[in-house]
Amino acid sequence: MTIDDNRRSREALLARVRTALRRDGPDDAARAAGRAAAQAYLAAHRSGPRPALSGDIAGRFLRRATDMSSSVERIATFDEAPSAVLRYLKTVDALPAAGVCWPEFAAQGWAGAGLDVESRPTVGHDALGITGCFCAIAETGTLVLVSGAQTPTATFLLPETHVAIVRTDRIVPAMEDAFALLRAEGALPRGVSLVSGPSRTGDIEQTTVLGAHGPRRLHILLVGQ
Amino acid sequence: MQVASMHFRERAHDKLHDAQLQANLRMFKDKFVPLRRDSLAELDDFEATREAARAIRQRALDDLDVWLEIFDENARARGATVLYAQTPAEVNALVLEIARRHDVRKIIKSKSMVSEESGLDHAIEAAGLTVVETDLGEYILQINDYEPPSHIVGPALHKSRDEVAEIFHVRHGTAKKTGIDELVGEGREVLRDHYLRADMGISGGNFLVAETGSVVLVTNEGNATLATTLPQVHVAISGIEKIVPTLEDVATLMRLLPRSATGQSISNYVDILTGIKGPGEFHGAEHMYFIVVDSGRSAVLGSEVSAALRCIRCGACMNHCPVYQNIGGHAYGWVYPGPIGSILTPMYVGLENALDLPQASTMCNQCGVVCPVKIPLPDLQRKLREQEFERHLRPWYERMALKGWGWLARHPALYAFASGVGVRMLRALSGRNGMIRRLPFAGGWTDERDMPAPAGRTFRELYKARAAR
Amino acid sequence: MRVGLFVTCLVDLMRPSIGFAALRLLEAGGAEVCVPASQTCCGQPAYNSGDRADTIALARKVVEEFEGCDYLVAPSGSCSGMIRTHYAELFADDPAWSARVAALAAKTHELTDFLVNVLKLDRVPGRYQGTVTYHDACAGLREMGVKAQPRALLAKVAGLQLTEMADAEVCCGFGGTFAVKFGEISSRIADNKCQHIVTSGAGAVVLGDLGCMLNIEGRLRRRGDATRVLHVAEVLAGELP
Repeated sequence: MTIDDNRRSREALLARVRTALRRDGPDDAARAAGRAAAQAYLAAHRSGPRPALSGDIAGRFLRRATDMSSSVERIATFDEAPSAVLRYLKTVDALPAAGVCWPEFAAQGWAGAGLDVESRPTVGHDALGITGCFCAIAETGTLVLVSGAQTPTATFLLPETHVAIVRTDRIVPAMEDAFALLRAEGALPRGVSLVSGPSRTGDIEQTTVLGAHGPRRLHILLVGQ
Repeated sequence: MQVASMHFRERAHDKLHDAQLQANLRMFKDKFVPLRRDSLAELDDFEATREAARAIRQRALDDLDVWLEIFDENARARGATVLYAQTPAEVNALVLEIARRHDVRKIIKSKSMVSEESGLDHAIEAAGLTVVETDLGEYILQINDYEPPSHIVGPALHKSRDEVAEIFHVRHGTAKKTGIDELVGEGREVLRDHYLRADMGISGGNFLVAETGSVVLVTNEGNATLATTLPQVHVAISGIEKIVPTLEDVATLMRLLPRSATGQSISNYVDILTGIKGPGEFHGAEHMYFIVVDSGRSAVLGSEVSAALRCIRCGACMNHCPVYQNIGGHAYGWVYPGPIGSILTPMYVGLENALDLPQASTMCNQCGVVCPVKIPLPDLQRKLREQEFERHLRPWYERMALKGWGWLARHPALYAFASGVGVRMLRALSGRNGMIRRLPFAGGWTDERDMPAPAGRTFRELYKARAAR
Repeated sequence: MRVGLFVTCLVDLMRPSIGFAALRLLEAGGAEVCVPASQTCCGQPAYNSGDRADTIALARKVVEEFEGCDYLVAPSGSCSGMIRTHYAELFADDPAWSARVAALAAKTHELTDFLVNVLKLDRVPGRYQGTVTYHDACAGLREMGVKAQPRALLAKVAGLQLTEMADAEVCCGFGGTFAVKFGEISSRIADNKCQHIVTSGAGAVVLGDLGCMLNIEGRLRRRGDATRVLHVAEVLAGELP
């Protein structure tokens, strides 16, 4: 058995599944019907029951993100981001004011605020990673980050501090809405990461510790009303 | 993984008398049960969501061949290679062949129970390659001479911080830590280096999405995100039953999975990985392989316990099981412990190799009530008990006792006579407090419990006497 | 209204006073009670041990004995649950019996459920001086929905105070033959239950299934604890042993 010769395994496996489903006869009407039903189901993109969200969705996002141990600050415009980041880094244990950002924030004026932020992917030695996000989910306080040439993934994984800049008008109510938006704005990239708060583990005595592998802290700047 | 399920009784005995384990288990139970309950209260309609989740999983199983084909087409269209393994041995062989093809020397892994079934880590090491588990719990067990996991969500929850501290101290050669956050910090340091130098990342798959040809990975640590993003090769290993049709279905299931598992509204990282990285992408796998695994699943699909394949591996059944809560996961002797393990283990390794598991349940149905996809676990345990009975896999005396009782209960006159004699005899065995200290042939009951004695006359006798008055 | 009392084999053999207490309560609610003399066992031990043939034979017997009554009532959530929720599956391939079983299942009740929801009993004969705690037996709770009914009835018992224990809904570890096959695990689960009962401070634990009673009482006594273990019917009827 080799990778190139895996077709036989595939056929044998599918044959056993069909036998189990009692549709292995010469007449594949049941299979055709199953296929048609499957295509219809896929086309419908039916949602299951969704909890009703009370209040405005930005407020809900803010509350739930905080529940998931993210910190959130609201700012009026992107221009306020550098000073907000610096303020945040100072309030938390005087964190190093250097790191990387996604290209979309390259010209944000970091240096003016006293930050040493470079627009490049990280290979693991940067203390701070600044990203945007594709959209955010109010129901669970989640950031939706998609991989791409302009949105290198490790920026929100390897640094100890992740700052995410989120436009208020990109907050959607639920995961289903985020998926609909992904479909509407292009095909799924290699990676779609739904991130809710900093990395954590409960593997020792079920005690939650933040910063298991990825960021120890996630600060969200919510831009606009 | 070696099957030790035939030693359930002896292992359970040891676990009941392991004071450290008992303390760890108490902590675990007191945590997860209330957390789950509180987090489910956030859903407006838990039962409706649960029914939707059941339907999603059942739909996938009812047309599994079709969904597998659709998944296959969509995954290939995005540049992934989709491979199929019929047996655990084929899983290992495929992984090693992929590793050879890409000249891989170091592999990192995020948690995959399917790979535990085939003992993949051992096969990788036997081939001279390095493999590092990145889920902190799995990592602790790996460096402790591959101790088996005791829970499908928290593999090392049977370990206390002191035990972990000792393992780290010995294996890492570092000063012994005391705090949990220090231990997590040490794990982070050690694993970070592995992430950055690995050639290949292996993940499991919480769901395979037919619509998009994606694998969905759910973690809190973010280890799956790292393990599938930094290396150039990503291999996702998943059972055939993990298919779900659409992303909307994933959204519904994700309302229940983390809540049922750890009482979280959402897990910290949910990754939807599709194909290979796009043009200009700095990170992400250049080569993506799926290994879609049968290893006994198609046989379950055609059996009377097929509902077990709906399982989304949340662990709620074991968290709420009075048996699991008192003995932990190791006694069950294979990859999947607790109520779901009492079905899957006999089905995957052979009923004759796991005779006690379907029996080791009070059938209290707390597992069935909390299961987010409505697997009727006690009903499935009973189906396997029927198979054991039909295949004469139970002891002769148990069979005789059942047949004897069944026969007597169908002959009311004899039953009345025999029961009249029986209750008087038992009454005579009791002490002054009306308790029997020792019952012949039922030491299982009286070793640690008294047996309240019968009143001495049966209801039917007394009722007849009363009617005659 | 003719109510067939399914005494259950355990009550028949072990603690007949529960059967008489159930009888008194049903009559207090205005029911005409019949007690089929040939009744024995619902078949649950065979069913849960995988002996399907004997289960089916005993199920047929129960159907024949009780289908002439307007209701079947049992002082047990586990036996009434067997009839109401499990018989149907045994006759899935047998249309004639299927219909008879379904008809019986539909009129099968656990005792306290019947007293509250059908007879709508507003007064109970029992009096009890002291504090009790209630253990929710598994089948009653999870198959028959018995939770509020016994508590509502106990609230009508003069002098009785109910205090809830921790984990009242958690299994006591009985599980039928499990208690003998895996006695050590079963005893440990029972011990946890006993600890919650003792911690509640109640002088008695009240419950609705004899299997749990034997298990809990047996473990309490072995611990040297004298907390009373009473069937809810005994307390409601004022027929304490």
